[in-house]
Amino acid sequence: MKLNTIKTTAICISLLAAVSCTDNFEEINTNPNGITQELLEQDFNHIKGSFGPMFNNIIVLTPEWKYQVQQGLQGDIWSGYMATGTAFRGGTNNTTFDLVNGWNGFAWGAAYGDVMFNAYNVEQKAKGKYDQFYALSLILKVEGMHRITDTYGPIVYSKFGTTDPVITYDSQDEVYNQMFKELDVAVVELTKRVDANETSTFVTTDLSSYKGDYKQWVKFANSLRLRLAMRIVKKNPALAKAEAEKAITQKYGVMTVNADTFKVVSPTYNNPIATISNAWGDIRMSADMESIMGGYADPRLPIFFNTSVQFPGQFKGVRTGIEIAAKADHVDFSAIGPIVNSKEIVLMNTAEVYLLRAEGALRGWNMGGTAQSLYEMGITASFDQHGVSGATAYIVDNVKTAKAYVDPNFPANNGAALNNVTVAWDAVATNEVKLQKIITQKWIAGFPEGQEAWSEYRRTGYPKLLPVLKNTSGGKIDSNLGVRRVNFVQSEKDGNAGGVATGITKLGGADTGGTRLWWDTTGPNF
Amino acid sequence: MKQIILIFMIIFTSQVMLAQVKTVKGSVTDAVGSPLPGASIAVQGESKGTITDFEGNFSIEVQKGKTLIISYLGSETQKILVGDDNIIKVQLKEAASTALTEVVVTSLGIKKTRKSLTYSAQELKGDELIRVKDANIINTIAGKIAGVAVTKSAGGTGGSTKVVIRGNSSVSNNQPLYVIDGIPLFNGTSGQPNNAFGDTAGGNRDGGDVVSLINPDDYEGMTVLKGAAASVLYGSQGANGVILLSSKKVKEGKSNLKASSVTTFESAAYLPKFQNEYVAVAGGEETWGAKGASNDHVKDFFETGNTQITSLAFSSASAISSTTLSYANTSGSGIIPGSGLKKNNFGIRQTAKFFNDKLNVAANANYTTQKVINRPVNGLYFNPLTGVYLMPRGNDFNAYKENFEVFDPSRNMMIQNWMTNRDILQNPYWGINRNKSEDTNQFFNGSIALDYKVNNWLSIASRYSYNRVESGFDKKIYATTQGTLSHTNGRYINVNTLSTQRYGDLIATINTKFNEDFSFNANIGTSITNTIGNQRTTLDSGIGGGLQIANWFTLGNFVNNAGNLQTLDSSKEVQSVFAATTFGYKDMLFLDLSARNDWSSTLVNTNNSGFFYPSVGVTAIISEMTTLPDFINYGKVRATYAQVGNDIFPFVTSPTNGFTSEGNKPAITAPKPGTSLRPELKSEVEIGTEWRMFNNRLGFELSYYNSETKHQYLQILAPLTNPLGVKYYGINAGSIKNTGFEAVVTGKIVKSDKFSWDATVNYSQNKNTVKEIPAELGGKVILTEAGVNNYRYVLEQGKPYGVIEGVNIKRDVQGRVLLNADGTIQKTDFEEVGNSNPDFMLGFSNSFKYGSFFANVLIDGRFGGNVMSLTEAVNDEFGVSKATGDARNASGVTINAVYPDGSAYAGKYPAESYYKQIGGRAGATGEYVYDATNVSLREVSIGYTINTKRFSFLQTASLSLIARNLGFIYKDAPFDPNISLSTGEGLQGIDVYGMPSTRSIGLNLNVTF
Repeated sequence: MKLNTIKTTAICISLLAAVSCTDNFEEINTNPNGITQELLEQDFNHIKGSFGPMFNNIIVLTPEWKYQVQQGLQGDIWSGYMATGTAFRGGTNNTTFDLVNGWNGFAWGAAYGDVMFNAYNVEQKAKGKYDQFYALSLILKVEGMHRITDTYGPIVYSKFGTTDPVITYDSQDEVYNQMFKELDVAVVELTKRVDANETSTFVTTDLSSYKGDYKQWVKFANSLRLRLAMRIVKKNPALAKAEAEKAITQKYGVMTVNADTFKVVSPTYNNPIATISNAWGDIRMSADMESIMGGYADPRLPIFFNTSVQFPGQFKGVRTGIEIAAKADHVDFSAIGPIVNSKEIVLMNTAEVYLLRAEGALRGWNMGGTAQSLYEMGITASFDQHGVSGATAYIVDNVKTAKAYVDPNFPANNGAALNNVTVAWDAVATNEVKLQKIITQKWIAGFPEGQEAWSEYRRTGYPKLLPVLKNTSGGKIDSNLGVRRVNFVQSEKDGNAGGVATGITKLGGADTGGTRLWWDTTGPNF
Repeated sequence: MKQIILIFMIIFTSQVMLAQVKTVKGSVTDAVGSPLPGASIAVQGESKGTITDFEGNFSIEVQKGKTLIISYLGSETQKILVGDDNIIKVQLKEAASTALTEVVVTSLGIKKTRKSLTYSAQELKGDELIRVKDANIINTIAGKIAGVAVTKSAGGTGGSTKVVIRGNSSVSNNQPLYVIDGIPLFNGTSGQPNNAFGDTAGGNRDGGDVVSLINPDDYEGMTVLKGAAASVLYGSQGANGVILLSSKKVKEGKSNLKASSVTTFESAAYLPKFQNEYVAVAGGEETWGAKGASNDHVKDFFETGNTQITSLAFSSASAISSTTLSYANTSGSGIIPGSGLKKNNFGIRQTAKFFNDKLNVAANANYTTQKVINRPVNGLYFNPLTGVYLMPRGNDFNAYKENFEVFDPSRNMMIQNWMTNRDILQNPYWGINRNKSEDTNQFFNGSIALDYKVNNWLSIASRYSYNRVESGFDKKIYATTQGTLSHTNGRYINVNTLSTQRYGDLIATINTKFNEDFSFNANIGTSITNTIGNQRTTLDSGIGGGLQIANWFTLGNFVNNAGNLQTLDSSKEVQSVFAATTFGYKDMLFLDLSARNDWSSTLVNTNNSGFFYPSVGVTAIISEMTTLPDFINYGKVRATYAQVGNDIFPFVTSPTNGFTSEGNKPAITAPKPGTSLRPELKSEVEIGTEWRMFNNRLGFELSYYNSETKHQYLQILAPLTNPLGVKYYGINAGSIKNTGFEAVVTGKIVKSDKFSWDATVNYSQNKNTVKEIPAELGGKVILTEAGVNNYRYVLEQGKPYGVIEGVNIKRDVQGRVLLNADGTIQKTDFEEVGNSNPDFMLGFSNSFKYGSFFANVLIDGRFGGNVMSLTEAVNDEFGVSKATGDARNASGVTINAVYPDGSAYAGKYPAESYYKQIGGRAGATGEYVYDATNVSLREVSIGYTINTKRFSFLQTASLSLIARNLGFIYKDAPFDPNISLSTGEGLQGIDVYGMPSTRSIGLNLNVTF
């Protein structure tokens, strides 16, 4: 009986214990490998920690395959920069204008998951308290997201952050307007701090070559404004001029020396193109590059590309949109050169800014120089950027033009020289020819960042690119006009179908790669 | 809660001692000496009586000279005069009818008479589990239990198994609960693939499960509790049904040594068909070149596998204690060269009685170690089969086999030798030798159970168990492995996971009779389960980072730390109180009432972390209640209604951020803003009837059920544009309905002294409907995302669970293929192309006896449902399949097609162009969907029982020839549709270079000394 009493007591206590200790449920239900909000706020990591993913995913630095489907098999190809000799999906894919649904979502995913979300996060936590971080996030957001609207057209922008079941899309027009305003906020905020000689608090968060220098960020923001202004010139010339001149006349102006170049300097990752080209053999010099830079005998060629393994001493490009029997057919053509063997990824360079100003001057805007002087400074800046000599001779070359493209293995892929402009400025030429020269040089100088080159190709039509020989778009995309945009992504159609519907309405055309974006008009350049 | 404590208090204080009578203890056994629980002990001429407990023991206060009447339904009643003996042993003779005597193990290890069950429970005796032995015990139940679908993983021997009872009812987990001697077993897996393409981190691998690690020889039988009512006592974990395993019990006074040895040989049974008439163009990766003979190297690639299972068990028992020691060794080599398995099982079970047999103590400890070299993977990465199947024809396979690596003077080391550099197509022998993997598992299961008999109607039991599973994965990837999979200096992946489960319970069992007519039976208890699932440490040198020095596989050689992670899949604690009662009237009418309340840590921060659910059931033994025609021996009807709640994923309601070298990473999943999560709730109605007739030679059991699981916990892909930065929202939505019918028919078709033939037919059909998927999801929940492949696995509003989606060729109303203007074939967007679940299943098992010879044949059929073969699609794209050879011989593919302008396509469609558009993982995958219907000769054994009279040292001995998966009587798919790429919820109904199904034939020797 005594034993029973003891047992009874013990059982009752254990019973009570079993059901009354739900107090530790919160602890059990918290993943010990996650970081709690309290821990995150130490040292302001809840704000600072948002910047790494933004810097590393404007262009996805890792894993490489993600870059490949974010940009490597999109803008890098459609800009005419590079081509692949790999027959992905049996040779039917983005390169033959059959836009691969499974690839389309990656650019969107990186932009929203890493750039937009973190910008939003910083806005929530820093706006009004640590406005320098808010300013920085705005500049990165514009840099990251203008690429997305230039890819898809209407996107989720002003409505990002809503918990409504339907997240509506903004038209591209609205997105650009908001971006200009965001750059205003950032520039005003940072300029105030530069003027006050404030010590930078960015140093540890800034993964760019600016190393936290507020003034450099102002210059970049101004340069970015110039780029955006030029993009909308055919749609809203007045606003374009106003924004462009605002950028030039801002107190700290735009990039003028190569030290101003905006590059992400990764402590860890190489330019992903290096792996894709060298280890995988999945990307090569394009036929257009061979035609244009080869025709000019451009001294930057050995920096941009390796000579062909199969044809030693020659730069051999691969044409996009061809029949590919085997990867081996073109894998020994020119790989991408030393330019990508680096942890510094250039997203906007000084040469581009000069050439944007050259176009502005051509359009009669006040760009602080003549079209010719700015054009030539742009070329010189590009040569300097790569440590290549011979700019002076190159600039005055009024003989060499693009050459015909020859595929020694498969003559069916050969193509005539489409671009007949020389490098040398010709004061008496038409504006159209002058523009072609400016854009062609900007195209060369921008290598290997294909996204911007693809956008400018769509805006201006320059340089003229070899049409695809194999078009499997099923009539959705014209072989000569090329891909004008990318379809809205599957995850949005699944998770935000109502939003996508608003996007399609604002797009004003079919949700295909053949529909032109808002700023991409069929009208003339002038 | 307070009431329950009160009940316990009352129970303990109400114990009264009656001094004037003597206590007689005894045990009641059946004709073969097995204990009979629930036998009735009555004192003649008095109303007093008791019944035996579940070990067949009883104790009764009675005066000397009185007569005890010991009765048990189905046995002959016996009368015993109480004399001086205080201990009585009674062996009841078998009555003419045996229908009512069966005892089944039910929830919490409690034995009940079959007749009193209000729900469906089907049993397998121990020899069913070991007759045609498989290294994984669960694979042996396929076709033997109605309503249970068993699907093997494509991971080969030592792989996991997917078991679905009565149809899929949950989005997140459909596996049943495994219970050993009443204690839940942790049956986690260290990982299952859910990507049709394949995983670059070591391939699509099956992490194995726990139940595959137990020793089949340790168990004397299995009971499958199919419905919600049967499992209400296990709560959430039992919502998908429960599979109960009972340890072998030792008979008192006997010592024996059992040994068995099984040797089987496995061969690849169903390979894809290849062409040998065309070769690749020089340097080409795909075989679309000129005519030219090539060897069929595929068949020779596969080897004959061998599995050897040796098991020993020593047992001995006295009146107060018993001991069993067991050991089993499994050693096997797979059909893919360089793959193999080694497994060791150790077990000890000890029971003892104390305090005049009032306290029973049972302790169990099992330990298993398993090592698998090159466990087969599926998908396109790290899979030797892609290299074997797709190698451009015209190359000499054997030369690449002999010289899978060659010396490279420029790197001063051996490098991969292969004709192409493509991620999905490496030299298979390089993969086998230089991408070698080693999977290890260690499983410990320790438990202790105390059972204290307070008085003749009350006993209290408490049990505690600890499960610990450690899984390791180690893969050494040598330099020059293709660049998508490895850094130029190689790659090292080493993953270790640890899972534990602690379970404790305390249960009071009341077993009494109010009077002669009314009996009462109750279990009242509380339990706590604490589970930590997959605490994982991953070391991965990665592709971007890599190794500093080539082929030196150690952490110190990693270039960076980016791939080294600690993660935890789940952590939760569930606390419960429950009560289950059975009221019996005259042993012919029973009423079950039970209720349970769970509190789960996963529901913290929601409106309610506790949830309640009840069940009620009735059963009536018609054959006892009324007089039926003579040929009917037994008839019963039953009905039950039950609910089971189910908690949600851990961590969701307490989201935390991640922080990597890059910076902030938001939580993966969070509740959808503005909503609160709540538990799932499954409700089930089941009715059934059981009959035995013609001297028990014909028996059947029919069950109908209708269940609905509401408020499913869904992880929906949050739009990438969500403000929380999460990948998924957790929501409660959707409901899954299952309606089904099961029939089990058993017949002793021939019964004579010399020859007997027993047969069982198991039939089950299940109709499944997914409902209430929110409109904002477009009526769809994606279980496996498409990624870059044209295969997607989804739940769709109004459709059965598990819709396979793919892309079809676009056709007009006349069925003509629509072409684009350029002659290319038009394709649809993603649409439904099939469903992975069977319409009905049929198992037909036969056992024959002729003198000392015996034979068993099991035919297993699954009817309806579909499977997709991306293997065939990619083989076609690469021009290696027989179809592409035939098409080229026929100078193209005959198609009835039209251009957009309406003009008909003339001539044959060029084979290469056709298969490059239609084939491939991203082609018209709808063309590669097959009917999953198949009927297979699942198990065959023919044996001889050796007459041991001539060998005095032997107790029993038998020798048999055994075969498993001998062949298909009918099959449409080009592979075995009973194999799945994943035993998780995703990636069903598809084959992507899964290991071919194997046919195994061997010998089984059993000896007892």
